[in-house]
Amino acid sequence: MDFTRRSALATVGVAGLGALAGCLGGTSGSGDGGGANGTPIGDHPAGAGLDSQPALGPADAGATVVAFEDPSCPTCRNFERNAGERLRSGPVADGDLRFVSRVYPIIYPWGKPAVQALEAVYAREGGEEAYWALFDHYFAEQGAFDTDTVLDRTESFLAANTDLDASGVVADAEAEAYDDAVQTDLDAGSAAGADRTPTLFLFRDGTYVTRASGNVSYETIASALRL
Amino acid sequence: MSGANRLTRARRRLGLPRLPSSRRDLRLVARTVRLVLGVPAYGALAVVVSVLALSGFVLSQNVALVRDTVIGGSLPLDARLTILVEQYPFVGTVYEPLPGAMLVVIALLTGANVAVVAYHLRENGILGGDERDGAGAGGTSAGGSVGGAVGVFLGALGAGCAACGSAVLVGVFSLVGASGVVLFLPFDGLEFTLLALVPLGLSLFWLADGMRGAEIRGCPVDI
Repeated sequence: MDFTRRSALATVGVAGLGALAGCLGGTSGSGDGGGANGTPIGDHPAGAGLDSQPALGPADAGATVVAFEDPSCPTCRNFERNAGERLRSGPVADGDLRFVSRVYPIIYPWGKPAVQALEAVYAREGGEEAYWALFDHYFAEQGAFDTDTVLDRTESFLAANTDLDASGVVADAEAEAYDDAVQTDLDAGSAAGADRTPTLFLFRDGTYVTRASGNVSYETIASALRL
Repeated sequence: MSGANRLTRARRRLGLPRLPSSRRDLRLVARTVRLVLGVPAYGALAVVVSVLALSGFVLSQNVALVRDTVIGGSLPLDARLTILVEQYPFVGTVYEPLPGAMLVVIALLTGANVAVVAYHLRENGILGGDERDGAGAGGTSAGGSVGGAVGVFLGALGAGCAACGSAVLVGVFSLVGASGVVLFLPFDGLEFTLLALVPLGLSLFWLADGMRGAEIRGCPVDI
């Protein structure tokens, strides 16, 4: 084999650059879960059962973010602190964006009872406002929760800050009374190819634009959705 | 015979490259890298490779986003550029300061590795058949080159995967019903990034070790 210096350098270069792919094409958010660019939101896996999901902002907003998040996920907490709050106080409040929350408990064990509680809250009459309050509470106090304390703390929070039957919510969460709603979100996320949290599916004028994973910035989402 | 001597003998019997064992070894690596990167062409190569490495690490975390909005799609140029630069450490919010700094360090080490490998292959004629006087191409030279390439490969691969963070690890582990494994990773996957420093550092040492006796820009590598 004629192995020159140039070919050796090329080999090293190709090997190095190939290695740089790291997780590229693996678990790096490269799959689309069947949602090609331009897919109507109703046909996209992430949009399955969207009308029954907790959402902020007008249904006819020009842009939609469908966010798969886990209350126990530190990256989700960072995303909420950085971009989530800005999205909801800005474009959502202005009527330009609809922010849809879908639970995706795949990180720490206490996330599972937490999302059962979230779905139990949302299922109650007038529970939507309490859903977002509890949602914010989980991220704000994330370090204080574990599997032993999450439902006790949830009950205390709901009793102190909402008009809901806090003990009833916790009883439903323990019995997984609304597990169908959790499974709907898990199935939707899985079908859409959400392999990490947070994973955000972005739609503009009712059609799929792209997806973003991790603690992406407000500027990233605003630029992608032309907000 | 001491344990260290026994290990050295075993290593030699197996033909394995030696490991750094003293401050002198670390000084050798630092001096070699400094001398090589002082050559403008190789310094530029290191910078280019470092930027490519960092880009590879960070953009691999959101392939669909980059493909659909930066490369494809119909966004104006300023929006595309905003999305692109927001994926990098210390610009956007994707990386916390420590993981971001680790990624930058690994990218810089990758650039230094490739530059030293290129210098070693080109200037010392390791594979070109015209080995020059003074090029200390002992038994570890070719091994250093290969070790360097392997180190770059492993380091980059490890760093790329580490950049995914615990969320991806959980996803992977959950496939085999072991998502609780992340509970044992106190730094949320940063451990993998730190591990990537090992092959990168070793590859630089093996390269520098293979260049002992050579001169770079008229300066001896080993003093």
